[in-house]
Amino acid sequence: MKAENMKFLYAGILIALVLSVLAPFLASSDPDGLESAAEGVIEESKMAELEEMEPVVGAPMPDYAIAGMGKSGEIAAIVLGTLLVLGISFGFGKLFNKKV
Amino acid sequence: MHIPDAYIPLDQAIVYWIIALPFIIISMKWAKNELEEMKVPILAALAAGIFAIQALNIPIGMGTSGHMVGATLVAIVFASPWAGVLVLTLVLLVQGFGFADGGITTLGANILNMGVISGFVGYYTYTTLRRNFSQSLAAFGGAWLGLFVSAIVCAVQMALAGTFPLVPGLKAMGLFHLIIGFIGEGLITSIVIGAIAKSRPDLLEENRASGTERAKEALA
Repeated sequence: MKAENMKFLYAGILIALVLSVLAPFLASSDPDGLESAAEGVIEESKMAELEEMEPVVGAPMPDYAIAGMGKSGEIAAIVLGTLLVLGISFGFGKLFNKKV
Repeated sequence: MHIPDAYIPLDQAIVYWIIALPFIIISMKWAKNELEEMKVPILAALAAGIFAIQALNIPIGMGTSGHMVGATLVAIVFASPWAGVLVLTLVLLVQGFGFADGGITTLGANILNMGVISGFVGYYTYTTLRRNFSQSLAAFGGAWLGLFVSAIVCAVQMALAGTFPLVPGLKAMGLFHLIIGFIGEGLITSIVIGAIAKSRPDLLEENRASGTERAKEALA
């Protein structure tokens, strides 16, 4: 493992963690492109129906939040997610790569 | 652009899973055959950064926000759209199962749109533009078009699902993602590729490829 690439990894982790901590404060709470389009083009009654439908598989931290923990819960959720993606992709890469 | 379960009926959602599956499998084969072990930290850093930046919605006006997708960025760094498919698959899996951001039945459609379509359109637009334009302009154009086309495909899926009417859906999705693509995708991709080209030019696979070609020419 090249030292320079590990340096890139540490820099990447640092940037990702800074973004994770800032996201709950900086991220726009406006609906995203798909939701906003839905609100614009779907009839109100049907939209209400869609919004009431629960996800098929429940998630432990829906909407990047931990129930009852406010902003600190949001930070914790996004930081956890970032570390999880980091761990999974690193582990996956270690398992599947061109062995030379 | 993460489609929730409620937006696509189950039978259609399964069809998108079936279409996405071969792409996911080939992206894993790409890792096995092409991903050098010493590049694993690069892949992991990009995946973590993309997850974090996807939590950062940027306001685009009209009461709407959007965020980067990142498949084109990963594809340019590794000079392969399969790298983009792989990273977005991992990111979308964590988002769906951990945070209910995008459904699980619709995960196939989300991988297809954001991993496959945005990555392939973005990467091949980049390589085409690269012949005549600077790296930063090509990265901007590729990332922008990749996101825009994936949003158009998403609008068509919404119409097939009976969730959006076709033309108003295309107009709304097109307009919002035209702008999200400019700021959220094009600009950030261009800046990050520029930063990598400056600090670690050896990381960009295209530089290494041209280096080999140069070496070959020198030998000939």
